[in-house]
Amino acid sequence: MSAVAESTGHAGRGVERPGAGTAKRLSMRNLNKSFGQVHVVKDLSLDVAPGEFLVLLGPSGCGKTTALRMIAGLEQADSGTIHLGDTDVTRMLPKYRDVAMVFQSYALYPHKTVAENIGFPLKVRGVDKAERARAVREAAAQVHMDGLLDRYPRQLSGGQRQRVALARAIVRRPSAFLMDEPLSNLDAKLRGFMRAELKHMQHELGVTTVYVTHDQIEAMTLAHRVAIMNHGVLQQLGRPREVYDNPVNMFVAGFLGSPPMNFASGRLSGGVFEAPGVRLGVRSQGSGPAVLGFRPEDAEIVASGAGTFNARVYAAELTGDVTLVTVVLGDDNLAVKMPKEFEADFDSDVGVRLNLARCFLFDANSGARIDGTIEGAASA
Amino acid sequence: MAPPQRPTGIARLFEPPEIGRSAIGTRIVVYTLLILWSVFVLFPIYWVVITSFKTPNAVNQGPFYIPWVDFTPSLHAWEELFVFDYEDTLKAYLNSIIIASCATVLCVAVGSMAAYALARIQYRPKLGVILLFVVCIALAFVAMAVAGVDWWLALAVGVALFFFLARALGRHFRRTLGNGDILFWIISQRILAPIVVIVPIYLMFQQVNLLDTHIALIIAYSVTNLPIVVWLMYDFFSSIPLDLEESAQLDGASRIRTFWEIVLPLSRPGLAATTLLVMILSWNEYLLALFLSTSNAQTMPILVAAMNAGERGILWWSMSVVIIVMIIPVVLLALVLQRFISKGVLLGAVKG
Repeated sequence: MSAVAESTGHAGRGVERPGAGTAKRLSMRNLNKSFGQVHVVKDLSLDVAPGEFLVLLGPSGCGKTTALRMIAGLEQADSGTIHLGDTDVTRMLPKYRDVAMVFQSYALYPHKTVAENIGFPLKVRGVDKAERARAVREAAAQVHMDGLLDRYPRQLSGGQRQRVALARAIVRRPSAFLMDEPLSNLDAKLRGFMRAELKHMQHELGVTTVYVTHDQIEAMTLAHRVAIMNHGVLQQLGRPREVYDNPVNMFVAGFLGSPPMNFASGRLSGGVFEAPGVRLGVRSQGSGPAVLGFRPEDAEIVASGAGTFNARVYAAELTGDVTLVTVVLGDDNLAVKMPKEFEADFDSDVGVRLNLARCFLFDANSGARIDGTIEGAASA
Repeated sequence: MAPPQRPTGIARLFEPPEIGRSAIGTRIVVYTLLILWSVFVLFPIYWVVITSFKTPNAVNQGPFYIPWVDFTPSLHAWEELFVFDYEDTLKAYLNSIIIASCATVLCVAVGSMAAYALARIQYRPKLGVILLFVVCIALAFVAMAVAGVDWWLALAVGVALFFFLARALGRHFRRTLGNGDILFWIISQRILAPIVVIVPIYLMFQQVNLLDTHIALIIAYSVTNLPIVVWLMYDFFSSIPLDLEESAQLDGASRIRTFWEIVLPLSRPGLAATTLLVMILSWNEYLLALFLSTSNAQTMPILVAAMNAGERGILWWSMSVVIIVMIIPVVLLALVLQRFISKGVLLGAVKG
């Protein structure tokens, strides 16, 4: 940290721990954006605390990138406001916003060396050469790229390019980092490694960060809080564990987890949830088409007849640490995580025992959670 | 299933013996075509070069092909043009250099900026406003032609009328055009054969007293080549990832700075190719030069053409000399710019 602490002379900000004192609150109020007839972001309100790592998670086309681009100033909001610290930046040109962005494509300038790429934000600000060289070296050291300052982007590997893009973002100590799927162009192994590095760096710098991704594992591992979006609407906002353990609707439940939550379709009426081969008592007044949801780790395969319901084994896959068993119930495929020693024959009949305390009921039409405790097997 | 049978007979000659080698038959065909094409391209140049070293007698007495064998080379034609007539030759040469380079610089500068704007900014001009403009300008011309109003007065009134009407009526027009339409309109200027508009162009320059000046030809060449620049550079700018420019903006660069420091260096290959093309077109242009210049602004192509209109018949030897000196600068320019152009091909290939 000491190297960083010494490097705070430029841009008129001096702090011992960069970020700790300069990190700013980012708040969005009722943001709306349409492209032609398509309403991409609907009434989005979000508060990102100073130094917080917030992940915007959602499938492609859910409006998360547009939201990020509005914060950056690359897209103009149709209505609503964006505040960074005490400043209203809703209509401010991107260059005055004091935010740095890492693009999915890295967006390195191909005709500039690594050093010139990292130093570009400082050069534009008129920081003198010696000061710039020092800042560039420090930023490069922070991402372990200090040996390659004279290379051109085309001579770097994907991971190295990613580091240069990060260094260019941190070199000027912005009030907020914006990251648009920065890891999605890396191969799986490198992605895992960079994820840890990114988390560590954000913690060290303490800069408010908004991170966009469609990868729920990135969201779970990196975020202080996750904001899950779908069709331009914020679905749920909370700490990763909260969102995972307590999803507000089927979309959130089905988006998080690997594999995601299982859904078995049926009907709820008179305090009983019914699906083919399943009858469960529910303390709920609701009725109508409903969906039973449970996570693969909250169920186990038992002998036929000994579980909550019976099903047929479709396939069993050993993934290394667990065996993933897919069973068929009615029209639904359900995944169950079993210990790696577990083996099952194709098409054999088995029982599935649910941890009923960790099961959820959803309204099949609206997808919303149905409040009500599941009490156990109900007699016919 | 069995793999296909090896061919027999003639077809065998065209079957590659192994991966990475071409068949004998293919090679024979390819090299024959290449050699034929090379002869087709290089022989005229060779002929021009040897003709420039022939005396009038050596030209008239029949085709001689090889110097020192068929005929004795002489510097007669070179002497005539560079010693006795050097003033005319030099003047045309300088004219060509000034006009072609000025026109190229102007045209590439204006054209690239237009292309960049078209590649990056969405325009939605209203069809009604465009029609209004055409009508106002047409009225100005009618006033000039029928009532004999001064051209500048008629144009000023026409333009003023357009702005007034556009402000008053603009809101009521609905139909709009897009960048694609603008681009097509620009390239459509090039579809028209220049001979069709040469008389109006002549009259326009006559009106503003610019006939037989460098400026007239510089303007004319810039305008006629503008569509090519816009069209080529538009493609080039469009291929530069938008991320780079957005990143530069977030890094704090202004639009102009982004254009200068990020976009232009990246489009150097395109700029080089376009510059070369426009330079060659302006350098070789004949028709406009013929109409718009008489003596003062005469360019090299006119000088070449003048060689076959003398009292002594066609002066092949002199013409050859002029052609050679005319080719040299373009060849040099091509050699200098070629480095960038070949680089550009690679850059495009890797970027994907």
